[in-house]
Amino acid sequence: MTFGDPEDSEGRRLSTTVWTAIDRKAGAVIELTIKQLRNKTSTWTVFGISFLLLTLLSAFYIDSVRQGFESIDNDGDSVDNDGDGYPLGQEKKYGSSDFDREEYPGSGLFIPSGEIYYSGPRTHTGNHTWDVEGPSIFTLNWDNIDSSFPDSGQQCPDQIDDEMINTPYGWGPFSCTIEDGLKYVQFLRFEGEGTLSVADGWLATYGITTEKFDVPPEPSQNYVDEDGIDWDPDNPSSSQGFDDDGDCTQSEYNESSYGENDDSNRNGIPCDVQWVRGADGSVLQIRPDYLVDEDPVDSELMGESSHRSFIIITGKIAFSMIIGIFLPLFLALGLIRDESENGTLHYLLSKPIHRGEFIVYRLAGYLIFAGGFVLAMSLMMAVLTSTLGPDGNRFSDVNMWFGIGVVTVLSLAAYGSIFNAMGLISPRYGVYFALIFGVYEFAMAVMTLFGAELVPIFSVSHWALQMIDAIVLVVWSDTIMLSQMATAFNLDTGLAFFWSPPKHTLGTGSPALAIGLSLAVLISFILLPILIGQSIFKRREID
Amino acid sequence: MTEVDGDMPLGETRIEAAYGSGDGDNTSTATVASAPKGQIFEQIYRPWNGTLGPRWVRNYAIYRHHVYGIVTGSGHRRYHPFVRLTLLVVILGSMTPILMLLLSSMFSGDASGFLNRMWGVNRYNLWGNILGYFPRNLCMWPLLTALVVGGLVSDDRKNGTSAIYFSRPISRLDYASMKWLSAASVLGAVILLTYIMYYSAAVVFKGEGWSYIADTIPIFMGGLTAGILLVFTYTSIGIALSSISTSRFTASVSFLGLVLGSKIVAWLIEIQFETTYIYLLSPYDCLAHVGQWLVGLPPNYNHPLAVSAVSLILMNLASLAVFASRVASLEVTRE
Amino acid sequence: MSAPPAVTLDHVSKWYGQVIGINDVSLAIDGGVTGILGMNGAGKSTLFKLLMGRLRPNRGAVRLFGTNPWDSTSPYRRVGYVSESEKMYDWMTSMDFVSTLARLHGMTRYEAEKKAERALSFVDLDNVANKEIGKYSKGMRQRVKIAAALVHNPDLLVLDEPLHGCDPLARTSIMNVIREMGSMGKTVLVSSHILEEIERITEQIVILHSGRLVALGNLHAIRAMLDKHPHRILIRCENSRALAASFIDKEPVYGVRFIDTESLEIMTKDLSQAHEILPSLIIKSGIPIHSIENPDDNLESLLGYLVGDSK
Repeated sequence: MTFGDPEDSEGRRLSTTVWTAIDRKAGAVIELTIKQLRNKTSTWTVFGISFLLLTLLSAFYIDSVRQGFESIDNDGDSVDNDGDGYPLGQEKKYGSSDFDREEYPGSGLFIPSGEIYYSGPRTHTGNHTWDVEGPSIFTLNWDNIDSSFPDSGQQCPDQIDDEMINTPYGWGPFSCTIEDGLKYVQFLRFEGEGTLSVADGWLATYGITTEKFDVPPEPSQNYVDEDGIDWDPDNPSSSQGFDDDGDCTQSEYNESSYGENDDSNRNGIPCDVQWVRGADGSVLQIRPDYLVDEDPVDSELMGESSHRSFIIITGKIAFSMIIGIFLPLFLALGLIRDESENGTLHYLLSKPIHRGEFIVYRLAGYLIFAGGFVLAMSLMMAVLTSTLGPDGNRFSDVNMWFGIGVVTVLSLAAYGSIFNAMGLISPRYGVYFALIFGVYEFAMAVMTLFGAELVPIFSVSHWALQMIDAIVLVVWSDTIMLSQMATAFNLDTGLAFFWSPPKHTLGTGSPALAIGLSLAVLISFILLPILIGQSIFKRREID
Repeated sequence: MTEVDGDMPLGETRIEAAYGSGDGDNTSTATVASAPKGQIFEQIYRPWNGTLGPRWVRNYAIYRHHVYGIVTGSGHRRYHPFVRLTLLVVILGSMTPILMLLLSSMFSGDASGFLNRMWGVNRYNLWGNILGYFPRNLCMWPLLTALVVGGLVSDDRKNGTSAIYFSRPISRLDYASMKWLSAASVLGAVILLTYIMYYSAAVVFKGEGWSYIADTIPIFMGGLTAGILLVFTYTSIGIALSSISTSRFTASVSFLGLVLGSKIVAWLIEIQFETTYIYLLSPYDCLAHVGQWLVGLPPNYNHPLAVSAVSLILMNLASLAVFASRVASLEVTRE
Repeated sequence: MSAPPAVTLDHVSKWYGQVIGINDVSLAIDGGVTGILGMNGAGKSTLFKLLMGRLRPNRGAVRLFGTNPWDSTSPYRRVGYVSESEKMYDWMTSMDFVSTLARLHGMTRYEAEKKAERALSFVDLDNVANKEIGKYSKGMRQRVKIAAALVHNPDLLVLDEPLHGCDPLARTSIMNVIREMGSMGKTVLVSSHILEEIERITEQIVILHSGRLVALGNLHAIRAMLDKHPHRILIRCENSRALAASFIDKEPVYGVRFIDTESLEIMTKDLSQAHEILPSLIIKSGIPIHSIENPDDNLESLLGYLVGDSK
């Protein structure tokens, strides 16, 4: 020997210790397992389908990046419901209705001063603008009921009586002349001086009309992305935001009953946005007043937030749920069960290897093989999203994908050891347990996606998804802000839907703690079944 | 003896030599063994002239063999005890609305009203009894199909038991259609019967009259049609997967992966990218869409109904084509 | 103190529910080739599985080199086992298969490959070592299993039906391998239900029947002990009556039966003596002989005597 290392009769060197021998045994079993998995058709079918799935999602992602983000009228005020040429946003500012052609900015507003109510005196005299609802007779000195409501040719009633309660002339504006100085009116607003008497059970209002003035209609594009998010991270005040388009501050200025501006977040300051920040300055919650900063520039904000939501949801559904649950179902269940069914287990167990060790090495082989695939896939996605994603520090994408990969590998390990233990506990029923457990895990994952936090606590998938949520917060600490912004300002990114801060933090809200907790639970999901499987396999008689 | 008696049926000596089928007293056993020189036996095959039972009788025997195993353990294709147990749990689970209806007929007032609103017969509930996602199409029907269909063809392929059929006067069409029908009737028994029971229970417990039945029967029939479609589609897809794989477990997992996975991925894409077209790849969603039309509900999907219907037809055709081609390649002997 | 024997069984019983697999067997084997004989279901495989720690005895103690194989895997360092299992990793080459199993002994990859090469050439498979096992014939597969069992140069080799289903050529080469192992001073256990096979390999036998140890020791000695039982010799010849006349008066022969004109059965109580005198008598008579057979010289008749004896 070159090292002067003496050999015994078997050619073993003295430097061969127990530990190096264990390494070699492990290496052999792991290598055998990998080769075996590599030789199964179903392995490559599953890998192929997983790859296709990720390709499909990537194709959608690339397509959405290529299209960019269209400006969206988040608050929906660029429409013109009544077709008077003024968009809703402009009508709101002037306090006019967008459902009345006659009412538009500068059209002259009717400001009521009194009314003939359902009960009480049925007549009133004066020089007013009248707003008549039901059948009424107007004895006039002058009026401006002009030819826009000519006599319809129907017979004109000469008086109003009890029958009138059902408006024999329909429910639209109508007037006719009974005789000179006496007119029948219904559902009409007009100016005139005289006495109005209203049929029983109906009402009329009277008041003044403001002067008309000319307001040019604005193009509807002015009301898309017109109220951006105004927030200054350096300003320590929690009250931020400015109502750029004035629909909070200026709406209803003419209605005395709503004299105060909107303060729906109840921080005492009307028409602002309350940004609640934690001790470290990160934004925890955003509470806007109604119609403040409600239509921000989408392309600025949507990009990042929908990019993140794509990564998160792909990580959760494609990686953790689909690959994480189904890959072990295909690959892990037969690790030892198939061997003992085929009788090939005899070759391996005739060698000086402990049965408990054997289980661990088998699982390690499966994990290296399946985990390698998962990590390769997440690397592929990382390259894709960090190249195509919006500008910024895209290296964080790589971290996030790595985190997703690790979580998925942990799920693979947990399911692998659980399915394997099921196969060992009951060679006869194990596969059926595994199938039902797989469906259970899938259902629990769906529940977790929809926000359940207690019911799915006894499932691997719940903790895996929780861990992804926590990793998101570690990698991108401002995700809470983006998610809050999406909710507060009507951004349609899916982020608020797919992601929420980790739930199991023992009340601290710390993502690191959440990761630690999930990790601990997942590792016990990995180790416990291994231990159970080992102790059962050790005592199993193999025929 | 080297010579053969005229009376003696051909081959009997050899049978006795080989299997000792005689009573042991005759000497023929020894004579063959002691034949000093080579000897050639004439081979004469006579066709069997008996009458074959009608085709449907033979087919019914196959069908029966696959279905009766649910109840009895011997003489029929054994259903694994666990599959039987799952069947029972699924049946009980899908009968919970009936229990609720019973409860609502026993109480009066608010409780009854609430139970009735939640579980009474209406379009949504009739649709939901077949096509609701949670728990029926998430946990129950796919699992049921996976367990029932899983080993139906793959076991034959793995064990070479298809030879038992094909060495008898049974065509591949008979074999395939009876396999399909047996799986479909097990699924149908669970899915459709509980649905019919639910509707009947609502009529009986509430003491409804003819006018009620006349009003609701079209909706009920729509739901029933949707249920038949569901049973048809799940059976076809499941049996196709079973015929591809060589292990019953792979077939079951593939079916679950296909049905549950395609749905959740399509949902992901809908939320993230605002298109519902990927739902066309999901058997469940195509069924749900067509089902919504059948019972007269507003659709949840943005794409046209016709596309879903076409996709559903294509899925079934593709599955049946795969199944047919795999059955055609099943060996008469062990693979 | 001398080293413990390779195999020790001390009042071992193993039953599966109502069925008894091994019934109160005690034996110790060390050195040389030993044939384990028994009909199907006699308990041969159960015995081997007990030895290999697959099964746990219900009663008694099993020791491999003084260690309980159920509790410890350490004796396997010195044991090679060929199971009766037919399935193998068909996608592997025999080189891969043998070297992978060698690595489970803690060898390095290089070491394992070298040893695997040696083992495969020992069983005469070195020229096909890089072909997949799936393409091998039955006999070749058996030899791969043997190579895997002796790759680590074990002191004890346990072969469960190694000749089962092999053609005569493969049979001969496997027998040669076993004989060679025996001559190298290893302890080899070979099970079979065919006496003739074992006879060609070794004279030391263990006979099991219905889980009981029926006989143990040298085959010829056992047979000699059974010599008081009548044996038959079947002779096929031209003129059976003439031949019969020539030894009807000889001592070991006590009866003659004519089956037909061309065959003759001789009854004797001393088989070896009968075989001693037979050749000279036949030559003297000058009658052409087609064949001489010992219809009783198989396991069934041997067992028939042994079991009948024990009753």
